[in-house]
Amino acid sequence: MPQQFLAQGEQLQVPAIDFAAVLPILIVFGAASIGVLLEAFLPKHQRWSSQIALSLTGIVGAGIALAAYISDAPEGGITTFMAQGATTGAIAVDTPALFLWGTLLALGLASLLMIGDRSLEPGGAFISQAGLQSGGLQTREQANVTGMQTEIFPLTLFALGGMMTFVAANDLLTMFIALEVLSLPLYLMAGLARRRRLLSQEAAVKYFLLGAFASAFFLYGVALLYGYAGSVKLAEIAAATAGSSASDTLLYAGIGLVVVGLLFKGSVGPFHTWTPDVYQGAPTPVTGFMAACTKVAAFGGMLRVLTVAFEPASWEWEVPLWLIAVISMAIGAIFGLTQRDLKRMIAYSSIAHAGFLVVGAMTLTEDGLSSTLFYLLAYGFTTIAVFGVISLVRDANGEATDLSSWAGLAKRSPLVAGVFTFLLLALAGIPLTSGFIGKFAVFSAALADGNAALVVIALVASAVAAFFYLRVVVLMYFSEPAAEGPAVTVPGAFTTAAITLGTAATLVLGIVPAFALNWASAGGFVP
Amino acid sequence: MTSFSQAAVVLAQQGGEDVVGTGEAIAFWVLGPLALAGGLGMIFVRNAVHSALWLVVSMLSFGVLYIVQSAPFLGFTQIIVYTGAVMMLFLFVLMMAGRDSADSMVEVLRGQRLLAALFGIGFATLLVGALARSLVNVQAQVPPDPYDPARGGGAGGLGRLVFTDFLFAFELTAALLIVAALAGIVLAYRDRREGPKRSQRDLVEARFRGEYKRRSPQPGPGVFATGNSVATPALLPDGSIAPESLSELIESTNTARLIAEQDRVLGSQAEHDDSRALLAGEDEQGSEQEGERK
Repeated sequence: MPQQFLAQGEQLQVPAIDFAAVLPILIVFGAASIGVLLEAFLPKHQRWSSQIALSLTGIVGAGIALAAYISDAPEGGITTFMAQGATTGAIAVDTPALFLWGTLLALGLASLLMIGDRSLEPGGAFISQAGLQSGGLQTREQANVTGMQTEIFPLTLFALGGMMTFVAANDLLTMFIALEVLSLPLYLMAGLARRRRLLSQEAAVKYFLLGAFASAFFLYGVALLYGYAGSVKLAEIAAATAGSSASDTLLYAGIGLVVVGLLFKGSVGPFHTWTPDVYQGAPTPVTGFMAACTKVAAFGGMLRVLTVAFEPASWEWEVPLWLIAVISMAIGAIFGLTQRDLKRMIAYSSIAHAGFLVVGAMTLTEDGLSSTLFYLLAYGFTTIAVFGVISLVRDANGEATDLSSWAGLAKRSPLVAGVFTFLLLALAGIPLTSGFIGKFAVFSAALADGNAALVVIALVASAVAAFFYLRVVVLMYFSEPAAEGPAVTVPGAFTTAAITLGTAATLVLGIVPAFALNWASAGGFVP
Repeated sequence: MTSFSQAAVVLAQQGGEDVVGTGEAIAFWVLGPLALAGGLGMIFVRNAVHSALWLVVSMLSFGVLYIVQSAPFLGFTQIIVYTGAVMMLFLFVLMMAGRDSADSMVEVLRGQRLLAALFGIGFATLLVGALARSLVNVQAQVPPDPYDPARGGGAGGLGRLVFTDFLFAFELTAALLIVAALAGIVLAYRDRREGPKRSQRDLVEARFRGEYKRRSPQPGPGVFATGNSVATPALLPDGSIAPESLSELIESTNTARLIAEQDRVLGSQAEHDDSRALLAGEDEQGSEQEGERK
């Protein structure tokens, strides 16, 4: 029998690959792989500088490749990695994908600058040897050793590449593997903080365990959807929804499980429990990366899945998602009020923002898509700058994230307090910031789609959430500084660049948002 | 081989009818309960190694079930990769972590176990019920021919898919593997080198260069003393206690006894002239004997 098979002499047709379209992803993964080699062959003292140079070159190079492709991208987008005789390929390169790639690369650049910073803390925010047991004498010595685990740079690039693949994946299998590629480095990076090792390791374990559960849910959903449609390709699932003889139970259970996996990654609503602990325990640059880029990737993937694969079944999932959006906004706004730790507070704020994003993601109109994309861009930049500022205020034990130590900060450092106030106003959605434009676009799209009740709830939640942002502002400006309060560290070039990038983007997108909105609405998903 | 493909042809001709043969039914009813028992055993057994072995039972049953369902490649992969490689790695890790380490059975959150059981059983019931309902009217597919990639079976069909439809996903797993290896290295690697090791000669030279507090070795305990306990301090030629010979640890733990012993060594308590009586008073005798017994 095997001889028979060989005798057929059948040639496999290599799938058609448009290398120009996927070049940004390939560059990011290539740079990550070279980074691993550098780690293996360079002496320790050369690693940091060469890793920084390589990673920045990789991201900027990917950005240039992306810009070159966009300048003459085919109208309406393409799918590539298309097998002989198939109708769609594994990777879709369309306007939303290109927009999200641009967003991810810009946010990844800012995060990388923060991750590479060594001015705030001698040696950087990461431990130099993660293998040591925490709590021991060696670990305490490690806190003073200058030098960091430079594997963090290739890991960041792998995560970034995974995110870029995730938002462009056109079948659920590619999407699942991309999900793992983006998650695994993050699980590890959360546990590499130089200070407060136990908190950091707890965050990593928690993120890993809950993330593994979410991946299992996603995979189970993929299996059920395969049972329903006989394919994991998004387009074929949509086609099967129109007319498949299989039971709809498989479809609904599959949609439910897949969406739960995605909601977990986006830290939405009742699937948020990991968020505060992980945001607090992870090193602040990683928290910034996670908060901005993971959210972009998760919602980018969710937009594609809901629009391309599940749109014909939208009647079935609209009500549950409606409820989830409300729950997420309520949890974020109410629990955010009670937080005493700034990083936890921003974590709950991100849960509330995830609720707003679900409002946009479930609005399957052109405006819904473009406004959600814009919201992701705006929120990402603001969040990275927020975590950049948080990393500046330090005392002898590292970052002083307790709310009380921020009292009267404006008297110590008016500039930092001013920037932070502006960023908090952007998170609250006050006009002249990108947050306002984002919320306005998302809510008006939802209103136009006939979701008035949800928009009213979202407005109430925004108002409640604005209270806890303003509380920090009041604390900074109208309280007396504590006698032994924290000092505001003068950041080095890298963190300054990251905060400046985030703040400038928040301002520019708030005043002249038209260019980004136009780009976001230039086209929809390729079917 | 031939009979296998003949059977496939026969099954293919039957098409959409009920195609579960007697052999397949017997295999299912033998292996299904075994797989279920393996799963339950894995959950309910306390010992981690036994738990892993129960999982092996479950996985082997699945492997055989796959083969019965004319997916021999999947079945053997299941047995070789999961049961053979992954589970053995699992067992290695368990052995390294200590096979006696059992989970703590203390409930940290009150009522958590009850709620977890409730929701878990609820979810399972929902899922099993829904699947059972939805899979009643399944149209039987033509079984894939393991030797004909064109008809989607076996390793050939899988290979074709890997290099056509899922080429990108396949290559993406390379990134996944690199990340996993890198993460393992980061978490497990410890740099134990603390510079080159110094020889005895280097140490002597360093002592005389003044890198250490004293050039000679530390005074040993009990010099010129009647006892040789570490707790007995060394005496200098003039009869005073050498301060370096006092152990910090002992100093901090048993001060009362040490002082008594020092007094005795210095001869300030002449009434205890028995050299073996290391006791300051009658009331401490009991504790001293206890100490000796230890």
